[in-house]
Amino acid sequence: MRDFEYLEPTTVAEACDLLKRYGGEARPYAGGAYLSIVMRQGLLQPKALVNIKKIGELHGIRCDAKDGLIIGALTTHRELETSKVANEKFPIFAHVERDVANIRVRNVGTVGGNLASGEPLTDLAQVFMTLDARVAIAGPAGSRVIPIEELFLDFYHTSLGDDEILTHVIVPPLPPRSGVEYIRFSSSSVVDKPCVGVCIRLTLGTDDALNAVRVALGCVAPTPLRARKAEEILSGQRFGAGVIEQAASAAAEECSPTSDLRGSERFKRGIVRVLVRRAAETAYERAIERR
Amino acid sequence: MANSVRLSLSKGSDIKMKKHIRLRVNGLERELEVSARATLLDTVRDQLGLTAAKLGCEMQVCGACTLLVDGKPVSACSYLAVDADGAEILTTEGLADGDKLHPLQEAFMDWGALQCGYCTSGFLLTAKALLDENPRPSDEQIRDYLAGNFCRCGCYGEIMQAVKKAAGF
Repeated sequence: MRDFEYLEPTTVAEACDLLKRYGGEARPYAGGAYLSIVMRQGLLQPKALVNIKKIGELHGIRCDAKDGLIIGALTTHRELETSKVANEKFPIFAHVERDVANIRVRNVGTVGGNLASGEPLTDLAQVFMTLDARVAIAGPAGSRVIPIEELFLDFYHTSLGDDEILTHVIVPPLPPRSGVEYIRFSSSSVVDKPCVGVCIRLTLGTDDALNAVRVALGCVAPTPLRARKAEEILSGQRFGAGVIEQAASAAAEECSPTSDLRGSERFKRGIVRVLVRRAAETAYERAIERR
Repeated sequence: MANSVRLSLSKGSDIKMKKHIRLRVNGLERELEVSARATLLDTVRDQLGLTAAKLGCEMQVCGACTLLVDGKPVSACSYLAVDADGAEILTTEGLADGDKLHPLQEAFMDWGALQCGYCTSGFLLTAKALLDENPRPSDEQIRDYLAGNFCRCGCYGEIMQAVKKAAGF
């Protein structure tokens, strides 16, 4: 690994100024779970790392009646997994995080870093997408809030500017009669990166029709993506085996998996189809329970 | 920040940044000079001579390099030493109480929970963190917590038994 300058700002403004000063040659650093690997491999060779861990406002999770859950970018995977505040409203987080990498990565890897890395083989992004989460981003000119889908542009490529920092993830309150399920499929060991990860959120209307439907697929395209055709097929329908099978087939078609060591393209499309069906069934059961 | 930065000229013409850090390692205060890119594993092994933790996969997968930072298991091969400034570090050398081995070390010996021993330090520290967090874990909780530590000699059965024994089962 090439040596670099190591800077420790204590405010977001200071951090953004430092990033700006290096004009794209510095990187924000939090847990280092991702950066340590790509820097050792020489894929990234920043002149400086800006450690943002001393910035107090980026830590912690809080719940706000209006905005919902506000997750600081420096929240580690393990903190999200074990957070009472987060899991009281969104037990899906403990369910997802339990299987993320291993205990050591969960202790250092952060929610913000996970999203900002643009790593396509990941879990959290799909869950946030189905929950209509937004991300708050700070830069030298101020801050902005965007839907999480607009963060991801391509493999390891996000819409974050060189001098911007992802500061928070905002998850709005879930409407009543909503159910969420995430299924991660690993093709080798449980601690491997996922081969396919599917998240589904269903919200039922008064007549039991599927009112809000979100289907997010991970690891089967350059970025996590919403399966819009599958969502359209389900929207407004009553839950049933036929319509779920149609949506599952549509989702398997609208992604673009590549053949690699975790499975062939055809295999991954098959997995998407099965996971969409299974996740939809569980999400529906949970929505019914939350009457 | 500024007071902890020191410039020192290396042999070549380039100027390298050395950082002054303080660690509490196995209960002892240590002050060290490290380069920004130095990993916690290299620092602990090369500067402090604590070689129980091993370099394995170098990508946070195998667990051979596990150290406890403020009580939590981390992959020291991928943890910057500068980032550990001010932290409490526990290595396997710090597990025993004088001549008295830690109950986990005793249990690993009783069960023969190792062959080559390369992974053992990582397993011991991870198991310690687990038992500190959850003194009476279920089999499933032990398996989940230790799932990120690999033993290529395949002593998993014995390791499970040893951790259970140390937990008082």
